[in-house]
Amino acid sequence: MEISEIIHEQSYTRQIIENKNSYYGFYNAGSMSEFDVIVVGAGPAGASAAIKLASAKANVLLVDRADPPGSKNVSGGVLWGDSLSQVAPDWEKGPVERYVEAKGVSFLTKDSRISIDFRSKKFGEYKSGYTVLRTKFDAWLAKKAKDSGAMVVSGVTVDRLSMKDGKVIGVEQGGETITSDAVILAEGANSRIAIDSGIKKKPSDRNIALGIKEVIKLPEKTITDRFGLSSAKMGFASEYVLGFLEGGVRAGGFLYTNKESLSIGAVISMGDLRKNNQTYSFNIIEQFKEHPFIAPLLEGGRVEEYSAHLVPEGGLTVDSIYGKGYMIAGDAAGFTFSNGLVLQGMNYAVVSGIVAADSFLQRKEKGIEAGANFSNYMDNLSGTFVMKDMKNFKGVDAVTWSKSIHQTIPAIAEEAMLNIFSENGEPKKHMLKILLKSMAGRKESKKELAVDLYRMMRRL
Amino acid sequence: MTLEIVVMIKQVPDSQEVVIDPVTFTLNRSAARNVINPADENAIEAALRIKDKEKDVHITVITMGPPFAETALIDAMARGVDDAILVSDRAFAGADTYPTGLTLAATITRMGKFDIIFAGEESTDSSTGHVGPGVAEFLGIEQASYTSSTWIEDEFVYADRELEDGIETVRMKSPCLITVLTNSNVPRNPTLRMKIDSIKKGIKTWSLADIGLKPEWVGLKGSPTIVKSMRTINEKKREGKKFKAGEMDKFVDELVSKGILKL
Repeated sequence: MEISEIIHEQSYTRQIIENKNSYYGFYNAGSMSEFDVIVVGAGPAGASAAIKLASAKANVLLVDRADPPGSKNVSGGVLWGDSLSQVAPDWEKGPVERYVEAKGVSFLTKDSRISIDFRSKKFGEYKSGYTVLRTKFDAWLAKKAKDSGAMVVSGVTVDRLSMKDGKVIGVEQGGETITSDAVILAEGANSRIAIDSGIKKKPSDRNIALGIKEVIKLPEKTITDRFGLSSAKMGFASEYVLGFLEGGVRAGGFLYTNKESLSIGAVISMGDLRKNNQTYSFNIIEQFKEHPFIAPLLEGGRVEEYSAHLVPEGGLTVDSIYGKGYMIAGDAAGFTFSNGLVLQGMNYAVVSGIVAADSFLQRKEKGIEAGANFSNYMDNLSGTFVMKDMKNFKGVDAVTWSKSIHQTIPAIAEEAMLNIFSENGEPKKHMLKILLKSMAGRKESKKELAVDLYRMMRRL
Repeated sequence: MTLEIVVMIKQVPDSQEVVIDPVTFTLNRSAARNVINPADENAIEAALRIKDKEKDVHITVITMGPPFAETALIDAMARGVDDAILVSDRAFAGADTYPTGLTLAATITRMGKFDIIFAGEESTDSSTGHVGPGVAEFLGIEQASYTSSTWIEDEFVYADRELEDGIETVRMKSPCLITVLTNSNVPRNPTLRMKIDSIKKGIKTWSLADIGLKPEWVGLKGSPTIVKSMRTINEKKREGKKFKAGEMDKFVDELVSKGILKL
């Protein structure tokens, strides 16, 4: 071969390598890692992070255990707010179900329902949320990540983080390591990888509740009529305190309207389930469904989907949301919010995913090395509602899971309402008198109630 | 010399998720995710087992289908298949098993040298079992259908055929075609490493022009089958009723009155 040919050959080969590297992002020029970032878990947190990173031309791998990606993900089903528009401006035209115009909060006792049913035409200027069906929605979001340039691999479960000298240098699967400058762990509430990799303690029962959910098929018009909604595009979302369960098991319920189905479920205290060997978790959702004022709403429906999932409770579930070479986002970090009136998680996931991506890009600008410390993730997140809510509502679970909320208040409210709204031919009493009388009849819980009421004022 | 193996696969809707529309009698595939036809997974595994044992084996997986069938090919590559070809063209739409076999045979001919062709025994979405044997006929090569294992010994290809009354071991010269029984082996799982590599490597896509067939030979035009009508079997309506634990008497009475239980 002529020298000129060899040179030509070599430059040609180099050209191919360069092309290949630019296609897969030659972004990590100074680093030996295969990817800039590996995102574990294609839920709202992981997919948002991947979209943000890939849009900034970072070389990103999004990996999910389910195929199609996200099809094993479960949540109640309302995505509150508009945070997602930061990475997917057209999300409201995506696979969303109904826009929440009616929001309820109810106490259920064995025979009664005491409710707030708030409906407003102002839920346009004031943002509420959309009900979503996660299998559809998450697959759509993962597709967005792919279209943005991320490599999306589904149907593989990552075993653990790959560590070297106390730094995360990638992920391990099937005995092989895939390297990256950073890992964003968005693996959800179970957090098996974080626990197995030694960066998260196994959460205690106090920090975990069990969510059980069914999707019940009903015709679109039936749902619109039955829930008194103004159109087929509008939806109803309500949380319930299930104050009628045997054995003092504490559980909350939820009921959301989708286009042609209802999402109904219960979130049950893990500790109570363990204490109460007689109470099977599936009994609780059955009792909820059979409640005299819930059953008529489900009439004629057919169960289409059944799922269960752990729900993080009481704020942060990790000692640190960042470390050398990694950041933790979404449920895996414990970013959920519940004050009894609203249950939220997906919006926290989206924001934490985006901020994690931003924090990587911020570091990257200054030239990054594998295993860099991502303390800036915490700083950046502290400026958002995610960390602020975690801080301001710390300990709110002591109220939402209190005996007062789950037993005493529903019972007092029921008695008071019966006295206020019934007519038995006797002189009427002042409301305060009725309430005080109802409370007086419950000596055992008086002190506890006082403490809980004080906590409620402070924390809700 | 390299042993060239071709595996023919089909992407099908996951049969557990497919429902038949009670009005139009058509399959509603939209709700179902797409997977590799189960028997084809066994065919891929049979090919990979030969590659595990023999030196210098090259496996190519091929499919005729729409562009999104790429995911099935990537999945096959992630299990250890070397290359993948998607034969995709609007002209192939509506094909029955005859032009499908012809299209695949033309694709294999265009590929060049081949020694063994593997295929699943049949697909879960049409269950004809025609295509594998059809390809062997179009190519004029020997074939063994409904096999549970394949191996190479003294330059010959051996295969066990599972028949009703026993197992028949056949010996063939290559090139030959083998169809593989569902569940005849346990397909290996792709690893993350191999999935990444297969996505990076990508697949080849060929059109009608690439395989040199005339438009009237393929797709709906080239299909001799005409479906006259289709019926579904009506499901018997079941009456759901709940009884409490203390109502055993009532429960038994109800069963007796309905004639389900005879005293």
